[in-house]
Amino acid sequence: MSISRRQFLHSSLLVAPTFAFMPIVLKRAVAASTSESFGAQANMPGTLVVVQMKGGNDGLNTLVPYTDNRYYDLRGTLALPQSSVLPLDSEVGLHPAMAKMKEVWDGGHLAIVEGVGYPSPSFSHFESMDIWQSADPDSNFKEGWLGRYFEGLQVTQSEPFQGMAIGGKLPLSLRSSKVSVPTVQNIRNYQIKADSKFPDAAQDRVQAVLNLFAASPKDAPYSVLLDNTMDAAYRSSLALQAAHTRYQPGAVYPDTKLADALKLLAEAITNDLGVKVGHVSIGGFDTHATQPDRHAALLSELSEAMASFYLDLKVHGKDKEVVIMTWSEFGRRVTTNASDGTDHGTAGPMFFLGTSVKGGLYGERPSLSNLGDGNFRFTTDFRSVYATAFEQVLGVPSDAMLGRRYDTLPIIG
Amino acid sequence: MQDLDLPVEQPVTEGLNRRNFLLRAGALGLSAISFELLLSACNTPTPIPIATAAATATATPTPTASPSRATSTPLPTSTPRPTATPTPKQASLPTPDPELTKIGHLLRRAGFGASQADYDMFSAMGLSATVDYLLDYDFVDNSGLDSRLASLGLDLNRLGDLQQWWLLRMVYTKRPLQEKMVLFWHSLLTSSFRRTGQGPFMHTQNELFRAHALGKYDVLLKAVSRDPAMLIWLDSRSNNKRAPNENYSRELMELFTMGLGNYTEVDVRESARAFTGWGLQKREFIFRSGQHDYDDKRFLGQVGKFDGDDIVDIIIDHPATAEFICRKLFAFFGYDDPGSEVIAPLAEEFKSSGYSVKAVVRKILTSPEFYSARAYRTKIKSPTELVVGAFHSLAVETDGRAMRGLTDNMGQSLFAPPDVAGWEGGEAWINSSTLLERLNFFNKLTTSRNQSIQFDPSKLVFEEGISSPEAALDYLAFLLLDGSLPEEERRVLQLYLISLNDHFGAQHADEKLRSLAYLVMSSPEYQLA
Repeated sequence: MSISRRQFLHSSLLVAPTFAFMPIVLKRAVAASTSESFGAQANMPGTLVVVQMKGGNDGLNTLVPYTDNRYYDLRGTLALPQSSVLPLDSEVGLHPAMAKMKEVWDGGHLAIVEGVGYPSPSFSHFESMDIWQSADPDSNFKEGWLGRYFEGLQVTQSEPFQGMAIGGKLPLSLRSSKVSVPTVQNIRNYQIKADSKFPDAAQDRVQAVLNLFAASPKDAPYSVLLDNTMDAAYRSSLALQAAHTRYQPGAVYPDTKLADALKLLAEAITNDLGVKVGHVSIGGFDTHATQPDRHAALLSELSEAMASFYLDLKVHGKDKEVVIMTWSEFGRRVTTNASDGTDHGTAGPMFFLGTSVKGGLYGERPSLSNLGDGNFRFTTDFRSVYATAFEQVLGVPSDAMLGRRYDTLPIIG
Repeated sequence: MQDLDLPVEQPVTEGLNRRNFLLRAGALGLSAISFELLLSACNTPTPIPIATAAATATATPTPTASPSRATSTPLPTSTPRPTATPTPKQASLPTPDPELTKIGHLLRRAGFGASQADYDMFSAMGLSATVDYLLDYDFVDNSGLDSRLASLGLDLNRLGDLQQWWLLRMVYTKRPLQEKMVLFWHSLLTSSFRRTGQGPFMHTQNELFRAHALGKYDVLLKAVSRDPAMLIWLDSRSNNKRAPNENYSRELMELFTMGLGNYTEVDVRESARAFTGWGLQKREFIFRSGQHDYDDKRFLGQVGKFDGDDIVDIIIDHPATAEFICRKLFAFFGYDDPGSEVIAPLAEEFKSSGYSVKAVVRKILTSPEFYSARAYRTKIKSPTELVVGAFHSLAVETDGRAMRGLTDNMGQSLFAPPDVAGWEGGEAWINSSTLLERLNFFNKLTTSRNQSIQFDPSKLVFEEGISSPEAALDYLAFLLLDGSLPEEERRVLQLYLISLNDHFGAQHADEKLRSLAYLVMSSPEYQLA
C-alpha cells in the first residue's frame, strides 16, 4: 500500500492534534513546471531509447569503407579484412561482430547517420561528453538536452517514469534542476527495505522517511534535490516493483550488462509506465591499445543486446512506439598507434533502430582524403540528429531546446 | 566570513526557531509523552543511574560512568551530551559547543566522521591540536589496525578482499587523514581493477598513495607514472616511439595536473614521445631504451631531449598546476567552486613549500574558509564516506565481509572508478537508485543482529546514561548530525516514536533504538558531510 505524504499529514493531524502547527512547512518545495509546456503529437513513436557508447567508439571500424584503398593504407594492421565485413552496399559494411544489426538492416529498420560531430572538436572525453549531453559546445547549459525536454512536459514530477536511466549514475543528458529522473540499477534493491524482524512496523517507518525528506528546510544545501529524488524514488519503486512481477520477457537476452539494462527498460516500457526517454550505456570504447579483440567484444555486446531488446518490444507490440539511438563522444584517430590501438578522434556514425525507422544511410560520408590533423572532418552536426529525435521521435519542437533551428533528417516515417 | 556556529543560531524557518519550538512543545505536553515512553523503554538491565548521567552533562569533568571506557581526559563542561533527566527543561536540544561542532566537521572532512570515543579524545585535545594530530600521523601508532587486518587472511589480489581490506582500514585506522588522502588520490590519479585484472596491481597502487599521502606532488607524479596499475590503465606500457600512445600523456595534463586550456594537442603528442619506453615487465616498471624516443621534444614552450620525469618537472612548475591541485584539494575538504582569493594563497604555499601536499592541506584545515558556513554540511557524502562514517560513528564491530561491494551500488566501486576522471561526485552521488541503496544500507546496518555487523544500540546509549527515547533521539542527533536536526524533522521523529508503541508496546527498547538510528541516518542532513 502506498500512502502519499499529503494523505499522511492529514491523518496524522487526526491522530496527533498536538502537532497542528506543523504541516505548513511540509509542503513540497517544487511544483511541476508550468511554462513552455507541450504535449507530444500523435503518430510519433513517442519513446526514445538512448544508448551511450562511452570512451569514444571507433566509427571507422564500425561502419567500414571496405572498398576504399585509403582505409587499408591508413589503418594498417587494424584494418578489417574486406572479406570479414558485413556489406551494407558496395562501399560500406558493418564490423563482423555486428551480425545481429545486419539482420535489422536487412529488415529495413536500421538507419545510420555518417560523420556526426561538431565544429572545433574537443579531444577530451569529458569535455566532449559534456558537449554532446548538454547539446552545447560552449557548455552553458546546466541541464542535459533531454532534461530540458522533461522540463517542458506538462506533467513532470507527478509522473515519475517519463524518463528512466539504467545504471549507477544519472547521465547529464537527462538531468535538470526541476525533474528527478528515476535511475535504476538493480531491481531487487529498488525499494525501501524493512526490518525483516518487524514487518508490521515497516509502513510507518517508510512514511517517516518520506516525511523527513518533505520536512527538511528547503534552503539547506541539496535539500530540493534530495526531496525530489526521494519522492521519485519511492513512487517509481512502487510502480517498477509492480511491473516487475507482471513482466514476461519476449526475447532471450544475452548475459551482458547492456542486455540487463535494456531488459530493465523493456519491463517499464512493456508495462506502460509512461517512459518517454530511456537511457542505457556501455563503456570501454577508449581503445588506445589492443583494440581488435576489445572492440569486437563491445560491438558484439551492443549488437546482440539491441537486437534482443527490439525483439522483446516486437513481441509486446511496442516496436512501433520506440526508437533506439546510439552515440559516442567522438570517433578515433584514422591512423593507428604502436599499441595496436587508436587515439582520440572526431566524427563518427550514429545508429537508429526501430520499426518506425526508415533503414538506410544518411548524411555524408566523411572523406579519408581530406583529414584535419589525422582526423575526420564532421559532415552532420549532432544537433541536427537531436532535432530529428525531438521532432520525429518524441514529436515536440526542437528549436527552443537546442537554442536554434537545426535541419532534421528524414529518418522516421 | 561567517563562522560555523552561525547555522545553529539561524532561525530554522518562518520565524520558528528551536527555542520557540521547545517552549511550544513543552506547553503541548510533548515531554510528558516522552517521559511515559522513556519509562516503558527502559527495560535494559544496567541503566546508568540518572544522577550520574545528569552530573556528566552539567559540571563534573569526569567521563561518563562507563566502566569499559578507559578515557581519562575530562570532557569540557560545555559538551553537548544530552541529558537523561526526564524533566521538561531537560528535553531541550543539546546546545552545540562551537569547538565541538568544528571538531565534528573536521573529522568528517579530514577523516570519516567521529565516534563518541573520538569526541572524548579530541575535545580534550582541542581543535588546533586535533589538526596537528591528524596531519602528523607518522607519530600515531596504528598497529592495532595492522593486526586486525592480518587476522582476516585476505587475498589482496582479489577485488572483493581488497575492498574489504581498505574499507576496514578507513573504519578502524588511527590515522584517518592518511586514509582520506588515499581516497583523494585514488579518485584523482585513477586506475581500475577492471583494466588491470586480478593481481597485485591495485593494492600496490593503494600502498603507493598511502606512502605519499601527504608528500611532495612531483615525487608522487613520478612514482605514479611508473606504477604498474597506471602503466596498464593508461596504456603507457605499450607506448612506443614508432607511434606513440597519447593516453597517459593527455590525462596527465588534463586530469592530474593542469586541466584543459593550458596545453595544446601538440603538447599532448610531444609529451607522449617523452614517455615512450616506460613499460612493464613481470609486473614491475621497466625502462625500455630501445622504445624510447631520444630526440628533441617541444613541450609547453621548452625544447629538450625530455623524458617522462622532465615532463613532470615542467608541468609541476607551470602556474596552472599549483592552482589545479589546490583547487582539487580545497574542493575535497572545503566546498565546491572556491574563489580565486581562496586558492591563490594555497597555490603560493604549494610552490614555496616545494610542492608539499601536507603544507597545503594544513593551510586548508586551519583556514577560516574551512570552518565557514559555506563549508559546514554543504557537501554530499560520497558512498565511501557514508558507509565508513556510519560504521565508525556508531562504533560498529565488523569483520568487513558485509562491506564488500557495499559502496558499489551507491555509485562508488572502490578500485573500479567509472572512467579515468574518477567519480563525478557532488549531486551526481544522488539519484533514485543510490538514495534507495543508502536507505537499504542503513537498514542493513541497524537491523543486523549477527556477528558480521555488530551494532548494539542499547550499549551505545546506555553507556551515555540515556534512558528515554527523547534523549536517545537527542544523542543520535548529536552523534550523527552534530545536533543539527531541523525542528520539522525532529517532530517527524517524535511522532514516529509515538507510533512505535502501537507496534512494540512498552517492550523492545532495542528495536525502537534501531529504527531511530535508521531514521536519523536516513535524514537528508545525514547525506551531507
